[in-house]
Formats: sequence, structure tokens, C-alpha cells
Amino acid sequence: MQRYFLSKLGQSILLLFGVLLLVFAMVRVTGDPATLMMSRQASPEDMEEFRERMGFNDPLLVQFGRFMSGAIVGDFGNSLHFKTPAMPMVLDRLPATLQLAFTALVFAVVIGVPLGLIGGFNPGSYIDNIARGLALLGQSVPNFWLALIMILYFAVELRWFPSFGRDEWKSVVMPAFVLGLPVMGQIVRMARSSVLEIRGEDYIRTARSKGLERRTIYTKHVFRNVAIPLVSVIGVQFGYMLGGSIYIEAIFAWPGMGQLLEQSIGWRDFPLVQALAVFTAVVVLALNLLTDMTYAFIDPRIRYGK
Amino acid sequence: MSTKRFWTFVALLAVGVVALAACAPTEVIVTEEVIVTQEVVVTEEVIVTQEVEVITEVEVEAPEVPTGTLVRAISTFPNSLDHPQAAERQASTTDYQLYDSLVWFGEGGKIEPQLAESWEVNEDGTEYTFFLRDDVVFHNGEPFNADAVVFNWERASTAGFEYSYHWETASNVEAVDEFTVKATLDSPDALFLSTVADNWAMIPPGYFEEVGQEGFDAHPMGTGPFKFVEWVKGDHITMEANMDYWRGAPKIQTVTFRPIPESATRVAAIQTGEADIVTRLSSEEAQSLLGVENVKVVKYPVERVYYIAFNNLTTGVDQPTMDAKVRQAMNYAVDVDTIIAALFDGFAEPASGFVVAGELGFGNVEPFGYDPDTALALLDEAGYPNGFAMDMACPVGAYTHFEEVCEAIAGYLGDVGIDVSLELMESGQYWDLEANKELPPLFGDSWSAAGGEAFRRLTGALGGMDASYSAWSDPTIDDLLAQIQATPDQDARAALYGELQEYMQEDPPFIYLYQPVQFEAINTRVQGYDPLPFEGYDLFDVFLVGE
Repeated sequence: MQRYFLSKLGQSILLLFGVLLLVFAMVRVTGDPATLMMSRQASPEDMEEFRERMGFNDPLLVQFGRFMSGAIVGDFGNSLHFKTPAMPMVLDRLPATLQLAFTALVFAVVIGVPLGLIGGFNPGSYIDNIARGLALLGQSVPNFWLALIMILYFAVELRWFPSFGRDEWKSVVMPAFVLGLPVMGQIVRMARSSVLEIRGEDYIRTARSKGLERRTIYTKHVFRNVAIPLVSVIGVQFGYMLGGSIYIEAIFAWPGMGQLLEQSIGWRDFPLVQALAVFTAVVVLALNLLTDMTYAFIDPRIRYGK
Repeated sequence: MSTKRFWTFVALLAVGVVALAACAPTEVIVTEEVIVTQEVVVTEEVIVTQEVEVITEVEVEAPEVPTGTLVRAISTFPNSLDHPQAAERQASTTDYQLYDSLVWFGEGGKIEPQLAESWEVNEDGTEYTFFLRDDVVFHNGEPFNADAVVFNWERASTAGFEYSYHWETASNVEAVDEFTVKATLDSPDALFLSTVADNWAMIPPGYFEEVGQEGFDAHPMGTGPFKFVEWVKGDHITMEANMDYWRGAPKIQTVTFRPIPESATRVAAIQTGEADIVTRLSSEEAQSLLGVENVKVVKYPVERVYYIAFNNLTTGVDQPTMDAKVRQAMNYAVDVDTIIAALFDGFAEPASGFVVAGELGFGNVEPFGYDPDTALALLDEAGYPNGFAMDMACPVGAYTHFEEVCEAIAGYLGDVGIDVSLELMESGQYWDLEANKELPPLFGDSWSAAGGEAFRRLTGALGGMDASYSAWSDPTIDDLLAQIQATPDQDARAALYGELQEYMQEDPPFIYLYQPVQFEAINTRVQGYDPLPFEGYDLFDVFLVGE
């Protein structure tokens, strides 16, 4: 158990290092920040002075060392565009993003898990057909398109929900729905196929033949096994929603991290992009770690394994 | 006819009608007629509301006390509300509701008094003496005076802000007496007053010294018509009416600025009434809002010009475009009007040069116009009867439809035998190359200029090796620009711009394309809103009806 945990932790730290390396390298291959950050009236001397001041002229290794020593304590320097420290700006936006991702996740789980389970237990039934249809729809409709259509219909036509912003509880409904829909689809499919697969397993047949109650079979044998892939899907998808809601946040003008990332890329604001990318990576890695822990909790094979 | 027979008749008639409706085509025509009458009614309703709108604009008077909340949706959240730190227009026009400068832009870009009641310029244009109002206080009650101006100049010119150079224009600012301040310039700068109007936002010295830069960023204040209330990053900025404003209280109680990065969402927000003013719409979006109830589309020309630049500094040396005739021919070869009609629904003005409508000295030259025969004749004269081949580059994703514009230009040039190979590049990489003067000898771009004059656009794009984004150098142009800079008199300067425009038609350093039109949409309850060409606006006179 402890060993399992430690090895997972080690993997995460290694991955984080990789992410840091990638983040450092990637922003430096997209072009010269001086040309984008400086006004068009700036003289070549001003630009050179800017590069010098920002340290873009130093050897890459020196820049990387500086980047790493700052990153460890969460210091990514000042945002070039906003002129204030980058990490606190990211943390400012965290509550909005968490609220959106959490609402979307609750929606996806509350709708998706029962639908998937029912579908799995009664394949071919009409609830199953609906569930499969929804899953297919959720996973195949492009969500930026869905977001715009929903604004047009539910905000402009019907006036049920505000078209943008984060003002009242109603504000979160449309972005959370759009963000949660593909996740819901995936949960439905995963739950359904797991149930179908596990129902046919030998140990279920054994349990049934030794006369166990249906309910006991479901709770003790089926649900527990279905839970493993579901937990992994939910963990991964929650990470994805925290980091990947860029365009949904942009379309709904949701003041979260995704919107900040969209804008900071536009401004080519190196420190801010780096802070956002690293922060998201840490959150995703932490979530993965948590998912792995949950496996151990659910699955004794992992708990007692070597 | 008895009642019973009557009802039988009605029943038969009804059955007959239903039967006819089911099979006879004549009945279908009848239903169509019904729809037509409904449409007529709808059009009448539209006309009525439009009449009502006109009446409200004429008759409604501003409320006695500040009333209502105005929501203005902007496309990006400001980086700072400290004016010298504002990185782009949406930031600087937002924060300027908090501040005043010594002077301000009036009709047609003319400089008008603001915190300075009047001013004097010495003969060689190096000393500006401002006579300040004596009845102005900052939002915290601090009095505004000459010392405050000196403090502001010292702070912003030495803070190392990216835009400090707007303050460094003056080499010294000193207080003459309590309400007289003198700014000294090292060399005459004709644009000094418009620089002051656009940039010199006055903040309270005592307050700034007390709270420091961080405290000021968290709660900025000036002398402006609105006072800062709160700023929830990425969500909204709220300001409220300054009841002690020196021009009198404004007519709106609360102004809220909301960033909505996606323009389709801004279109939705104006339709639902969640926003009263939405900025930066495309022409398609503006058209989709025409005729929408309670929405009015506002358009105004932007101080920006699109162009294809020639290069006589690096990659263009020894190319056919070194010949002015070739460059003229290329201007005649491109049908700008058709490009504007096809790609911008007609909402752009063909550029006659590098000075655009609304700027000083505009109007003495005409656009080249589309004339392929003249283009061919000129090419023939220049010794290229069979044309030539050339490389061209344009940025992708930077400007609306600009990729298509460039493709069209390549096609038009091909029509007169100039074989253009067009390369479209990601804009970040593009601007790197542009700054290093490594772009092909033909490249597309655009340039804005604030302050009612084309001066900075001209020096920026034609400054030769000293300017980061210039690929052109011409001593005649340099000379005229130097004269413009040294001429404080507006009329004389306008004449010089005219002369420069004529020269730049004879010897064009660009293919002049178009001046774009900016679209905003406002709720019809907003009255008195009149944006300036550089997206500036003054909310002091704006009020809301029906509040």
C-alpha cells in the first residue's frame, strides 16, 4: 500500500518536472515576446532593452535555472501584460473555475451514472436507447457550437438564463451543461459497458448460482467493479474540465482560469501562461494521485498487492 | 331559415372547407394570403417603433440627478486602471472615466480645455503654459493644482512604464504659481497637446504617496466624472457618479464594465438587454443586429489604415518595386472597392493615403482607383511589359478577413502580369520577421494612430532603419515629417500633411487599401453616446431613458 503510494507519487513528481521543462521550452519557440509586447512605436533599442530586462538574452540554461527555482515556490514573475505577480492572478480565478467544473461534474455524474447503470442492466430497453443516444450526442456535438446555440435559444429567445458572466446561480447552468455534457456521455458509455461486461463474468454467475440476493450481487460484486473504471474516468475528466474549459469560459465570459489563459496567450504573456500551465498540471497530477488512492480503497487487489 | 337548417348549413360548409383544404390548391393560396397580411402588420409595427425612437431622441431630457446603471461590454479585461500602464485601447478608454487631463479632444479632433482653462505656447513651440481651473478636487477631496500636475509628470515619466514616453515628451514641468504650470520641451512637438489629452491623466499626489502603487492599483482615483467602486478581476469593474465633479454631476448613477471576449456573446448580451453598449463587432454581426428591437448600431471610422508595404531597405532592394512607376501601377491594379464590397459588406473606406478620414490634413488626394489599363501602361513605361515575379506575405488571424484581402490582391496583381507568390504566416512569427525587416518585399499590415493625427503612423511605418516596423526610407518624407513636427500651428501642419500626401501618391511607399469602420451596438435607452474615432468616448453627457 505504502509502496504503491510512493511509486505513484514518484511518477507524479517526474511528470511534473517534464511538464515544467515542456512549459519552459514551448513558450520560447512561439516567437519573440518583444515584438508582441512592445508598442509599434518602440525603437529597436527599446526592444533590446526589454529583452535584456526580461532576461530573454541570457543563455537558455540560465533562464531555465531561474525559471525552475521560481517555479518551486510558485513564483513565475510578474505578468507582462498585467504587471502584477502571475500566480496570485491564477489563484484569483480558481474559485470561478472550480465552481464551473464542480457543477459540470455533479451534473455529469448524477445524470450519467444512473443512466449508464440502468442501460447496462437492461440493454436494449428504451431507457438504454435514450442513454446511448444522449451519450453519442454529448460526445459528438462540438461544445463551442452548442454553447452559442444555447445562448441564442435560452438567453436571447427565451430569456431563461443570462447570456454571460457569473452573477447569480442561473449563470452557471449553461456553461456547466455544455462543459459536463461530453463527460456525461463518456460516463454513460463507460458505466454501461462495464456493467454489461461484469454481468457476464464467472464470479457473478457463481454468486447467482449459490443463491445470493440480487441486491447483494449488485452492491458487492457489480457496483464495486464498475466503480473502478468510473472513478478513473471521473478523475481524468475533472482534471480536463479544470484545465480545458478555455473556450467555454471565453464564450460565456466566465471569469475563470480558462478565460485568463485564452487572453494571456493572446497577449503572449509568458509568465502568466507558464503559471497557468504549471498550476493546471499540478492540479491534474494531484487529481490523478487521488484517483489512484481511490482505486486502492475500492480494489483490494491494489491495496494488498505488492 | 330556421336555426336547425342554419346549423346544418354551417356544418356542411365547415366540412366542405375542410375537404377543400385537404385537396384543393385554391385553399392553400387563401392561407398564404393570411400570412401576407400578418407580415404587413409586422412591418407597420416596426415603423411605429422607429418613429417612437426618433421622438425619444429629440424630446427626452437628461435626468436632474444621476440615474440608472449603464453596462458597457468590452472585449478584453483591462490590464490596469492606472492610465500610464494601460496596455491597449479598451483599458485606457475604460480607466479614462476616472480621470481628466489638462486638455481634451473636441469636435473633429480639435483640442479643447479640460482641467486647463486655457494655455499659451511660446513662439518656437517649446514652452506650453497651462492656466488651470481653481475649482477642481480629486475624488478624495484633495485639491487639484499646479503641484499635482508636476507630481503626475514626475511619477509617470520616471516610473519606467512601457508608455512613459508619452510623459517624457516634456523635458520639464514646473509650477509657476498655484494654478499655472509650465511644460518645457527639448524640441518643438506639434503633437504635444494631443499627447497630453490622450495620456496625462491626473491622479491625487497625497493619496498616491499614502497608499503607494499597489494601493493605487487596487483603488485608483482621479478627478473624473466617475469614481471607482470595485474591480472583480475578469468579471466586472464598477464606477459611480462623482457628485462633486467640476462640470456638474454626470447623468448616470453607476457604470459597469464587463469583459466579454467572444463577440457572438456580446451580440447576445445587447439583444437580451444585459449590456447597454457592446464594442468591437464585425460588420456581419452589426448587420444581424439591424432592426432588432431596442438595439441601435453605431458605426464610425477607425484611425487605422490597411496597406501592402514595399521595401527599399532590405529584401526589396534591387527589386522592380524600387521604381515609383511600378508602385503606382500596383496601386492602380488593385480593385479596393470590390474588395470592400465583397469582404466588408461595403463597410470600409478606400484609403487615399496614409492620412485617413478624421485626421488632420485629410482630404486633398483621391484614392488611386481601379484602372488596370493605366497599370499596364505604367508597367510598360517602367520596362516591365511582361510583368515580373515577387514574394508577398500577410499575417493570419491578426485582422478581420485580411487573409482573403491579400489573396485578392495577389490575384489582381496577377491580372497585370505581376506574379505574386503569397505566404500567409502566423502573426507572432510575422511580427518577428517584420521587426527584423526580413519579410518579403511586399507585405501586408495595418497601422493605427491616436490623437487625431497620422504623425506617429507615418514616422512608425516610414522611419527607415530607426523604426522597428518600417521597411521604407525616403529623405523627402523624412524632411516633411520633421517640418510637421516643428510646426505648432494646426492649419500650417494640415497643409504640410497635404503636401506629404501628394508626394506619397507620386512616389507611393504602399499599396493603399482601406480604412476600416468600427461597429458598436447600443441599447436605445442610451442617449448622448458619441464615440470618437480612436474608440474614446465621454460618458459625462450620456444618460438613460426610462429609468
